[in-house]
Amino acid sequence: MTKPLEVEGLGYQLPGTGKRETGNGRFLVRDVSFTVGAGETLVLLGRSGSGKTTTLKLINRLLEPTSGEVRVAGERAADLAVTRLRRRIGYVIQEVGLFPHFTVERNVGLVPQLEGWPPARIAARVRELLAMVGLDADTFVSRYPHELSGGQRQRVGVARALAADPLLLLLDEPFGALDPITRVELQLEFAALEGRLGKGMVFVTHDVREGLLLGSHIGLMLQGRLVFLGTPDEFRHSDHPECRAFMAAA
Amino acid sequence: MGGRGRWRAVQGGLCALAMVASLAACRSRDRIVVGSKNFTESDLLGEIVAQQIERRTALPVERRFHLGGTFVCHQAITSGQIDLYVEYTGTAYTAVLKHPPVADRDSVYRAVARDYAQRFGLAWGEPFGFSNTFAITVRRRDATRYGLRRISDLARVAPRWKAGFGYEFLERADGFRGLASVYGLRFAAPPTAMDLGLTYRALAEGKVDVIAGNSTDGQIQALDLVVLEDDRHYFPPYEAAPVIRQTALARHPEIAAAFAQLAGRISDAEMRRLNALADVEHRDIAAIARDWLRTSLP
Amino acid sequence: MQGFHGSGMSVWGFYARNAQEVLGLVGQHLYLVAISTGAAIVIGVPLGILLTRRPAWRGPVLGVANVFQTVPSLALFGFLIPLPFIGGIGATTAIVALVLYALLPIVRNTYEGVAGVDPAVREAGRGMGMTDWQLLTQVELPLGFGVILAGVRVATVVSVGTATIAAAIGAGGLGVYIFRGVAVVDDTLILAGALPAALMALAADGLLGVAERRFAWRGK
Repeated sequence: MTKPLEVEGLGYQLPGTGKRETGNGRFLVRDVSFTVGAGETLVLLGRSGSGKTTTLKLINRLLEPTSGEVRVAGERAADLAVTRLRRRIGYVIQEVGLFPHFTVERNVGLVPQLEGWPPARIAARVRELLAMVGLDADTFVSRYPHELSGGQRQRVGVARALAADPLLLLLDEPFGALDPITRVELQLEFAALEGRLGKGMVFVTHDVREGLLLGSHIGLMLQGRLVFLGTPDEFRHSDHPECRAFMAAA
Repeated sequence: MGGRGRWRAVQGGLCALAMVASLAACRSRDRIVVGSKNFTESDLLGEIVAQQIERRTALPVERRFHLGGTFVCHQAITSGQIDLYVEYTGTAYTAVLKHPPVADRDSVYRAVARDYAQRFGLAWGEPFGFSNTFAITVRRRDATRYGLRRISDLARVAPRWKAGFGYEFLERADGFRGLASVYGLRFAAPPTAMDLGLTYRALAEGKVDVIAGNSTDGQIQALDLVVLEDDRHYFPPYEAAPVIRQTALARHPEIAAAFAQLAGRISDAEMRRLNALADVEHRDIAAIARDWLRTSLP
Repeated sequence: MQGFHGSGMSVWGFYARNAQEVLGLVGQHLYLVAISTGAAIVIGVPLGILLTRRPAWRGPVLGVANVFQTVPSLALFGFLIPLPFIGGIGATTAIVALVLYALLPIVRNTYEGVAGVDPAVREAGRGMGMTDWQLLTQVELPLGFGVILAGVRVATVVSVGTATIAAAIGAGGLGVYIFRGVAVVDDTLILAGALPAALMALAADGLLGVAERRFAWRGK
């Protein structure tokens, strides 16, 4: 059975070989390889600038890899049309990015609408998803983003990412902008949801506790390279200095 | 900036203010302000008069040319903003004094000289010797094709034609309205109004079919245009002469002698030649005036 | 009125006596403004959108539009007259000049409106698989519409005023009354032209302002 995500030797080098070019040919991501199976969550952990967000964007081609290969459900990402690829992948970002002029219903139903689902099917799916993320459908379908709290917005963001039932979900520090109490609340709910969904997920965070809670695997990145890949337990007991540093800060 | 800098700025401001005030006061009663209307011939005549005064008297002359149309200049001279400008007898007679048009040159001149003196305190000098009447002008090929020689002939083609006029001609009593009624001209649409200077171009380019230019314009020949004869004598004679405030003349009687030298010196043909130098050959107006004065006067 | 030079007739009397001519000139004026603003929108909005896709072009394009705005209107009319096709005396030249005048506010505001969309919204849209066209039509344009409308409002109000100068080159409109009045020092005539033009500008400003507020988006 093909895995939702396979990444091999992935690399991203900034353009510019001359002295005056910004970037100077620097590698933001170098030789990264991992796989994510159905029902697994790979947490990409690392400090700021370690390349974890860049890696995420290389998967759905918001940035184009300069080396290596990405395969989603067995198909090479580079071979697919970019929009087709992205519609198969759920994407959740820290700032959420809900469309302010769309109701919650239209926001959540965005990808189904782009894919041409019949309206009745979209409406039913939206209600189902809102329930899944803990929002009362009747109350929230016709609300606008500016009427929601931060936590409610990110729930809608997750619902939106799940709408077309993708087999892969990418999340970039989704709870980072929330207050501590709401953050914990959403982490716990998300942990419960993960098990039921059975999807492959890549979850970027710099919060080691969040990572240990939500990940089935941890990938630690440092200066663009993957310096650790293993289970949370292995991470806790690892001798690698960067792992120790993170565990000390936990 | 600090207090000291601010005081400096105030000082500077006061100085500037004082200079401006003194410059304004400097406008001594000893200068003559010459105006002109907003077309080439008026500028030329104004320049000739101005240079003549400079040659023959010790008076400094200030030029305020291209002011506007007849009424702007009339208002300027009656209010004292200018001391003199060149006007046309017919224009004064019908447009300013609002008399119905009359054909006799001398009676028109006498009437305006008398009325301007009585009503406005303005004196008329002797005419320069030419008449610049409104020239109802068409393209030569149209004149040939439709057999147009006189303005009466225009009535035949008017319903299919477009007319274009300057703003003053449209508004004046001796302008378009009277012309249309005397000659029975009915155009398909109301005339297109535009800046007078553009009407020749509009005619030459075919945007309009008939315009009211000036009979002494230099562009008539250059653009291969034909002037139609005023067979019903609708337009009064328009003789050009200098008009000056009586107070200015009384203060500086030497100006009268300067004027006298110019009387009768410019024929129709001569004015057309000078206009062509300016409008067709684009020579500098001050230079044209200077050359003319040098060669034509003792 | 001290200093008022006129035929003695009030402006209202003038309108009553010349109703048909007045309506004709108002119609001409509206025609000039409508056609030129319409053309400026058709050219300017796509151009503004293009600038958000090609940032390198922003400087040159806005620079050129800025030059046209800075040239005094009568001078611009004068420059255009000798040109073939779009020049000459009459409404065509006036419309070309008015279009050039209206371009800067429309192009710049379209750019600002589209570029001003929250980057997170744009990133989320792209990340979920919206094509550039879908992003533009479903997100960027609707969100930026209020700002674009503000640019149209400015362009329209400026056009109403500039169109009065078009009368100098034979394009008609309310400027005809103003020029005639200036030529014969008749303040009634001048007012007869200036009043409706001012009213037109105010009306355009008001109506488009209302529309603009309706479409303005608060918050992100």
